[in-house]
Amino acid sequence: MSRLQADHLYKVFGRRPDEAVRRLADGADRDELRGEGTTAAVVDAGFVVEPGQIFVVMGLSGSGKSTLLRMLNGLLEPTAGRVLFDGRDLTALSPRELRAVRATKISMVFQHFALFPHRNVLENAAYGLEVQGVPRAERETRAAEALELCGLAGWEKSWPDELSGGMQQRVGLARALATDADLLLMDESFSALDPLIRRDMQDQLLVLQQRLKKTIVFITHDLNEAMRLGDSIAVMRDGRIVQLGTAEDILVRPADDYVASFIQDVDRSRVLTAAAVMTDGAVPADCPEDCSCRPVGPDTLVADLCAVAALAPHPVTVQDSDGSVLGVVPTERLLAVMGGLASEEVTARA
Amino acid sequence: MPRLPLGDWTDSSVDWLQAHLSWLFDAVSSGVTGLYDGIDAVLSAPQPLLFAGILAVVAWWLRGLAAGVLAFAGFALVDSVQLWDEAMATLSLVLVATLVTLVIAVPLGIWAARSQTVSAVLRPVLDFMQTMPAMVYLIPGIIFFGVGVVPGIIATIVFALPPGVRMTELGIRQVDGELVEAAEAFGTTPRDTLLRVQLPLALPTIMAGVNQVIMLGLSMVVIAGMVGGGGLGGAVYRAIGNVDIGLGFEAGVSIVVLAMYLDRMTGALGRQVSPLGRRAAAKARAALSAKRPGAKLWAHRPQPVTALVGVVVLALVAGGTGFLGRSGGATSTTASGQDSGHGKKISIGYIPWDEGIASTYLWKELLERRGYEVDTKQLEAGALYTGLAGGQLDFQTDAWLPVTHAQYWEKYRNKLEDLGSWYGPTSLELAVPSYVKGVDSLADLKGKAGQFKGRIVGIEPSAGMMGILKDKVLKEYGLEGEYEVVDGSTPGMLAELKRAYERKEPVVVTLWSPHWAYSAHDLKKLTDPKGTWGKGDGVHTLARKGFAADNPEVGAWLKDFELTEKQLTDLEAVIQETGKGKEQQAVRTWLDRNPGLAEKLAPQ
Repeated sequence: MSRLQADHLYKVFGRRPDEAVRRLADGADRDELRGEGTTAAVVDAGFVVEPGQIFVVMGLSGSGKSTLLRMLNGLLEPTAGRVLFDGRDLTALSPRELRAVRATKISMVFQHFALFPHRNVLENAAYGLEVQGVPRAERETRAAEALELCGLAGWEKSWPDELSGGMQQRVGLARALATDADLLLMDESFSALDPLIRRDMQDQLLVLQQRLKKTIVFITHDLNEAMRLGDSIAVMRDGRIVQLGTAEDILVRPADDYVASFIQDVDRSRVLTAAAVMTDGAVPADCPEDCSCRPVGPDTLVADLCAVAALAPHPVTVQDSDGSVLGVVPTERLLAVMGGLASEEVTARA
Repeated sequence: MPRLPLGDWTDSSVDWLQAHLSWLFDAVSSGVTGLYDGIDAVLSAPQPLLFAGILAVVAWWLRGLAAGVLAFAGFALVDSVQLWDEAMATLSLVLVATLVTLVIAVPLGIWAARSQTVSAVLRPVLDFMQTMPAMVYLIPGIIFFGVGVVPGIIATIVFALPPGVRMTELGIRQVDGELVEAAEAFGTTPRDTLLRVQLPLALPTIMAGVNQVIMLGLSMVVIAGMVGGGGLGGAVYRAIGNVDIGLGFEAGVSIVVLAMYLDRMTGALGRQVSPLGRRAAAKARAALSAKRPGAKLWAHRPQPVTALVGVVVLALVAGGTGFLGRSGGATSTTASGQDSGHGKKISIGYIPWDEGIASTYLWKELLERRGYEVDTKQLEAGALYTGLAGGQLDFQTDAWLPVTHAQYWEKYRNKLEDLGSWYGPTSLELAVPSYVKGVDSLADLKGKAGQFKGRIVGIEPSAGMMGILKDKVLKEYGLEGEYEVVDGSTPGMLAELKRAYERKEPVVVTLWSPHWAYSAHDLKKLTDPKGTWGKGDGVHTLARKGFAADNPEVGAWLKDFELTEKQLTDLEAVIQETGKGKEQQAVRTWLDRNPGLAEKLAPQ
């Protein structure tokens, strides 16, 4: 069973929202409705998130991604559609039941950290447990553990405004992790950080994720970040999801010009993997015994592959962990991919 | 444009409210009075200097040593100018008003912060409350709540409520939306979101609102003093009425001392109670003690709870000793004469005019000697009549009838009982300083407008004598057009007279006899050969309807009450000599000098 499923979700602000949903479902344009004073923030959004996945929603501001996120934990009530969390329809719950779900099962990390300035780091991290009614001693232990997990051991008695932005967001992350929620909603959580710190946080999130195997829905406007983090990515535009797929799908097969214009700025070498660019073939015959080449795994990023290819006098072998050969990557193929040529063109030339 | 009878509607709705909701007003009135009496009893129980010390210790804890020393000096000053009891009465009034205001304002502000509709509806209502001149709703306030501290407190609440509501709303709205969302995202209930996130973070702003409420409350004490609220406001009002600049300044400075103390303390308290402020203070102290280790003990501040408990204990101990000391003294002052009053309560109202003060305290002393329990209230004339008509006061001794107080008498005549004149006739006149030569009669004013700048300095336009002056006197003597009658107020007229007198400038003012101005300055009354001013008023005793029937003995005494001019001026002089706040003591001295008079005025 999937952890989280969004089913034809709509969110319309303004007058007569139900009628607006009907018209949108019939294919009405968002701009048409805006003229009448109704804003369609999310239109017919549907996706499935599996347990342990990082699902990234990517879009520019105003694309409806934050609204979508807030429907997933019931902060906003969908105008139409359902949100299934572990098979349970969140939209059918009473406010009290919904609060219970938010307190125990779904936690959230915010763009501007949203730490409570009148509580110290430990009290902030323990907030969710406090809401749950966990006794003080236990919640402080668990909050301290969460802080340690996020690399903040020793900062328990500090105050949020004494910490740097990156550290504050670690507290935000610890607060979300402390409740042991299965689902983590992250709303542009790294957008307010400096580029270097942002990268650091992304790395740390990936490391944590390997250990904790949470299910994460991550919102961002940065496609590089989306591709670094996302097992699966939804690109949103004007309230609709225009493409849903892996980083590679989006990069190699953009659904439309809008997505294509986005990926121009993406560093392909850090997204595409050897598996995505390899062609069929066996280990080159002209490989001598003392050849300086070495095989790579299918998950090797193209950027790293380039370094290997530069030393090898022939196409690089891609092989599985058990040594079976999956394919080869010729140097000209690498260059073509880096140059942004579509895979069909490369194949045609080859 | 047709005339909208807005005023008539107001009149009839006031009547309707009085007729149908008096039970509610009575309940509010007794509740507020109870609260006020309780707080006043606690505040005025300790010895002044002891209590000043307690207040100084609070200031020291909250703000530091300098603040404590200054606070003590300020309150010692209040005590030394003998306004301590008044200051405590005012402090009680402000505290009660603040307490009630906050109980209403904070929930309203929270509600307004959570609902745009409520906020939109409240805004014009608050504007109305804040800008409607207080005097306008003060008289209806007396009709509903009676004279005394209650209408003053109610007027203060009406005036001070808006900033309390606004600051609470603002404070809560200012709390970062993301924080509220974060609380909700972790499943916090709306109630806990308010209590754990919004209120703690809004607290500094709310405390600024509390501060505003207190300051506005203090600015209203003089108005409260005009409707019998007493305290420093009453002292200021009385000082204005008598152009007593010295007393006015002393009372004014006492208000300032209270204001500054309350302002600084609530400001500091705002920092102490808000979690963020407390943190900042702790940090500052930590930095200080790191620099100078010895300063640690010195900079020690008790936790707010400890401090509060400490202050309450200190106040109770001080209050207890005060009560003990006081009860010992109180028994000895009990009446020595025959007790025919059996502790029956009688309430006398007075306007702070000399003959009013003298006759009121005379009767207070006489009635207390006869075993009545007497309460006196100083009021502005309109408030006095309204209170008398409403039955909250039993009688007053300073009604100038039939002319000067004609308009009040007309309005309330069927709710009042005239117990007759005890002094008279009085006279109304225009007066000039005696250094103005060649002007002895009203007729002499003709053709001298240039000398007097064409002005006759008048008093309140509502006063009966102003009507006579404009409609009759000027016409009869052909002064119309030549002189302009300047409307103003009695204190204004007296101040102008004093100013002109000291510079030896010619001035002509409206005046009446008896009046202390005749003994303070060398003035001459302009004769009225044509008799335009009329025969002159008698000073009457007016009681509420039914008073004489309820108290036949007192009613008979008051009906027979009479003083000669010599007796009255003697009594006024003794009161003047003895000093303010000791009127009753002066009356005793005077009665001792006139043996047998007490028995004559209030025979057994």
